[in-house]
Amino acid sequence: MELKLPLSLSKGTIRSLYKAGISIGFALLLTSILFLLTGANPFLAFYYIFAGAFGNISLAAETLVRTTPILLVSLGLAISFRCKVWNIGAEGQLYMGAMLGTITAVALGNTPLTLIISLFVSIVGGLLWASVPAFMRARLGINEVITTFLMNYVSIYLIQWLLAFPFRSPDTLFPESAQIPSSAVLPVLVPYTRLHLGVVIALFVALPLVHFLMMRTTFGYKLKAVGENPEAAKYGGINVGRTMLLALIISGALAGLAGFVEVSGIQFRMRPSLSPGYGYTGIVVALLGQNNPLGVALASIFLAAIFNGSTTMSRALNQPQGVVDFIQGVLVIFVLASEYILRYLEKKGVVKI
Amino acid sequence: MQNPLFFLKRSVEGKATTIQADQHPSSEYALYVKGINKTYPNGIVANRDVSVSVMWGEVHAILGENGAGKTTLVKIISGCLKPDSGEIYIDGKKVDIDSPLKAVSLGIGMVHQHFTLIPSFTVAENIALSLPLKGRLSLDHVKEKIKSVSEVLNLKIDPDARIEQLPVGLRQRVEILRLLCQDVKILILDEPTSVLTPIEVEDLFRMIRELKSKGKSIIIITHKVREALAISDRVTIMRGGRVVKTLMTKDSNESELASLVVEGFCPSLKIEHVGRGDPILLVKDLKVKGDRGEIAVKGISLVLHSGEILGMAGVAGNGQKELVEAITGLRRAESGTILIKNCDLTNNPPKSIIRNGVAYIPEDRMRRGVILTMSVSENLVLKNFEDPPYSKGMIMDKGAIERSASELITRFGIKASDPWITVNSLSGGNIQKLVVARELSNGASILIAEQPTAGLDVKASEGVHQKMMELKSKGVGILLVSADLDEIVRLSDRILVIFEGRIVGEFTRDNCDIQKIARLMLGAPV
Amino acid sequence: MIEWALIIGFIAAGIRTSAPLMLASLGETIVERGGILNLGIEGAMLIGAFTGFMGAFLTGNLWIGLLMAILGGILTVLVFGILVVRINLDQVVSGLAINLLAAGLCLYFFRLAFSQGAFPYLSELIGPYPIPLLSQIPVIGDVLFNQTIFVYVGIIAVPITYYLIFKTSYGLKLRSVGEDPLVAAYLGIDVSRIRYTALILEGILVGMAGGLLCLSMFNVFDTRIVAARGFVAVSIVILGRWNPVGALAGSLLFGFTEALSLWIGTFLIGPASASISQLLSLLPYLVTLIALLIGGRRVRGPAALGSPFSKE
Repeated sequence: MELKLPLSLSKGTIRSLYKAGISIGFALLLTSILFLLTGANPFLAFYYIFAGAFGNISLAAETLVRTTPILLVSLGLAISFRCKVWNIGAEGQLYMGAMLGTITAVALGNTPLTLIISLFVSIVGGLLWASVPAFMRARLGINEVITTFLMNYVSIYLIQWLLAFPFRSPDTLFPESAQIPSSAVLPVLVPYTRLHLGVVIALFVALPLVHFLMMRTTFGYKLKAVGENPEAAKYGGINVGRTMLLALIISGALAGLAGFVEVSGIQFRMRPSLSPGYGYTGIVVALLGQNNPLGVALASIFLAAIFNGSTTMSRALNQPQGVVDFIQGVLVIFVLASEYILRYLEKKGVVKI
Repeated sequence: MQNPLFFLKRSVEGKATTIQADQHPSSEYALYVKGINKTYPNGIVANRDVSVSVMWGEVHAILGENGAGKTTLVKIISGCLKPDSGEIYIDGKKVDIDSPLKAVSLGIGMVHQHFTLIPSFTVAENIALSLPLKGRLSLDHVKEKIKSVSEVLNLKIDPDARIEQLPVGLRQRVEILRLLCQDVKILILDEPTSVLTPIEVEDLFRMIRELKSKGKSIIIITHKVREALAISDRVTIMRGGRVVKTLMTKDSNESELASLVVEGFCPSLKIEHVGRGDPILLVKDLKVKGDRGEIAVKGISLVLHSGEILGMAGVAGNGQKELVEAITGLRRAESGTILIKNCDLTNNPPKSIIRNGVAYIPEDRMRRGVILTMSVSENLVLKNFEDPPYSKGMIMDKGAIERSASELITRFGIKASDPWITVNSLSGGNIQKLVVARELSNGASILIAEQPTAGLDVKASEGVHQKMMELKSKGVGILLVSADLDEIVRLSDRILVIFEGRIVGEFTRDNCDIQKIARLMLGAPV
Repeated sequence: MIEWALIIGFIAAGIRTSAPLMLASLGETIVERGGILNLGIEGAMLIGAFTGFMGAFLTGNLWIGLLMAILGGILTVLVFGILVVRINLDQVVSGLAINLLAAGLCLYFFRLAFSQGAFPYLSELIGPYPIPLLSQIPVIGDVLFNQTIFVYVGIIAVPITYYLIFKTSYGLKLRSVGEDPLVAAYLGIDVSRIRYTALILEGILVGMAGGLLCLSMFNVFDTRIVAARGFVAVSIVILGRWNPVGALAGSLLFGFTEALSLWIGTFLIGPASASISQLLSLLPYLVTLIALLIGGRRVRGPAALGSPFSKE
């Protein structure tokens, strides 16, 4: 009997799904082996991870809260990776957006427009921070991987300094900013949870917008053309440098937005510990989602779930924290190797597409 | 008066016979190849039952048109390709050649059309690379070897010169020298004269004779009948992947060879030369830099009229590429002006040049002409995806793109099962058709065609020429850049000859003198 | 002559902080000459630091730690090698993947090894080894011959790397592979073997560079310990134009910048001193960016750098 999928999917989509499946399968297999070696039952461990992520409403809400910054960052990275501009500076762009957004919110105080203006400023902050490596890449041909990564350090040291001195809150012991005014706080959607409006911004505004931009517009076409063959793109009349520049600054803008959404929805203050590496998780997510916005959304939820669920699992099974880092690390390797593995499986006749 | 196109009259006499090769190869044959068959993965049959024998101390020419299977054959002999079937004997012994290295160890070496030298390395370093070296690099030892080998043949070469600073003729000499340092006894030269000036050709021929006198065997691949006559002892003619005949050169003549090379094809294309219209492209005193910062175009002026095919004849690497790139906006012009329909578009971005009606069929289709990993539909709108009906504002209309693609696929006979399959699943010929379809359907008023038929078989070339004539009759001005003098002379209303970044001659159909063009192309005094 | 001693101390410190950059950038110079852009060097250094720390912590022997660091470096670089040489993946993405893998593994295994709140540290470090006699030379002795083994190895590695790249037949093959792997393969050079060899050499140097951080500079491990030194090393390779001597010069420049940012801090007094000395910690990164802006424009490296190569 032949299984028929309810949707008719193109070969490319089926391949992408296979690749994602292979990556996740291998990563989880390796994680299971790790669990066995550390004396935990892998089935139980994955059960706890799942339960910790979706076990009840408030846990599920927390998973969505975690999804929000990851999704915003990775949507931006999907745009930049689509045209093969490797922005690995999302972490720094996120911090800059958060910092500038917070400064704006605190400076404006309670006004009806505080939230909107601060969100806008955070977008601009991320955008401006990304525009430095973008300019260096598009106009001077300097490798953006190096510059975006170095910019992360500049931004984080700069922000540590800003929070330790000029913008330090007078009422706390730690280097952190003053609390943002209540009008700059993203409202909570579900009572007794931390699920805030940010998830709507990420899932129902940014996701459809990015999807539309990448799939339906001429800009999306340009991104793809430049990424796949810059020489032919130039010949076709596309401004290659400008496309790269735009891709990088748009990804910076979304990272900046993610930063302030995190401040305004969860932390209410700017702290040097704002992000547990969302900028890097975003890279894994964008690669796992194969730069497809819908794939990226699913991958964001997946990683957010592991992020949250592994905390529960660690407590229940007395495992060390940070399984998520392990999974994230091996996942990205298998994402890369998945094309090779898939081709191998096709050659052996295991998989037919 | 003699018709300038006399050599295009293709005679159909002289029935071809396949030489039945000797059954028992003896060691009087340096090389003996029997029953080679080769079909490429894309279905093209490049060699059918090919048999050739080469004696010691013989210069053997393999003559044939583009796509006749010559290069495939020698690539098999030199270990770059694996045949589907067939046997190779060297000095009477059956051998299995599975790599270029193995070929060299058996005494066979090849000089490819694209040189296998590393430009940033010196001569000595390049030669050292091919020698079995271990540990400390003693270039002195290599230089001594170069000296001893080159002295025997009276070749002058500076072992410390960097390849990128040497003229093409000397680079070729380095390739040959390298093979000699490897003790190669059978040398294969693939179209060695296509990149040389006449003086260099003379040098090469002198060198070939010298090698022959030292007992080496030389196989020379060429599509030029005169060359085969000038240098070879025997000549094997190939056509459509088969060996037509092997002859003693001294017993043959130009017309016999020419008729064997192109037998059986009668061009049906009607070439009409209508009166030309107004100038639509004007280039004045254009100077353009090449990739390495050298001035590649040294002040070129030209004018192209509507309804005219302007041929640009020249050996590759004389500034044609840079000229075309400057006109199409892909490369900066240092000085001079480019007027398109009386608009100054010098150093405008490619987009604005395209918008002003300039279509361009690039030489390197795979790298420049298409995006292999994108679909046929998407590639067909590469030049106009931002224009209606394919997009409105920033939003693209997939339906309109698909409709136009389906229409072009049928009209140009592109073999694609679906407009959304990726281009890398098409054959080379179909990719070329795709590029031609896109460039010819945009309603352009100027077409720049760079080697539009390179790599195509005779029939497909004919199709492209047909399309160009159609456009011309509609008043499009065509700049035809080609290294194929045949093609240029056949189609052009006017011919410019480019040499070392300058226009060195202009001919109309009435005063067209092939010999003169050929000499000008090579920079020789007329 | 207190000031004089301070300046000598500063120069010695500058050379000391240059050591990890020297080792890493020399390793990267070798592989980039062979056409491989290894951005996973950051991750390889981190793994080197981690295995070095664990080795030293568990055995109590710093030299076993160093050995483990080298092994860790080689192993990481070889995983990268499998991705880019064996299965021809994009070198940039593979490098990123290695960095993420290294960060994930170190974070997890460090927590696995030590319970939360534990603060493992090494009770001693690999200190300076004064070279007999030479270290007695005034000034020069203090600056050059009273350093750690890492500085000596880093400096000696410069002429060795130079000799390897330009004066050996391996170096010639390596460079040919970096310029045009297709031509090299045509001439019978085993491209994969050449590249794996280069990667192993890089692994040794980078593993040492990472191990140095834990074994000679800081006595603790932290996943942020590498702090972009790998990427600074890649920048140095560009600025040094793929030449070991250039790499040495670049490493000294950035080593001194790092030392300077610490050194200035020790002189500051007054209310703003803490503030300024904290801000100075971004100086090395800023200097690298500015140096790239000035010296990294459209430079020409090995022609085949970063492009995947397959024989088909």
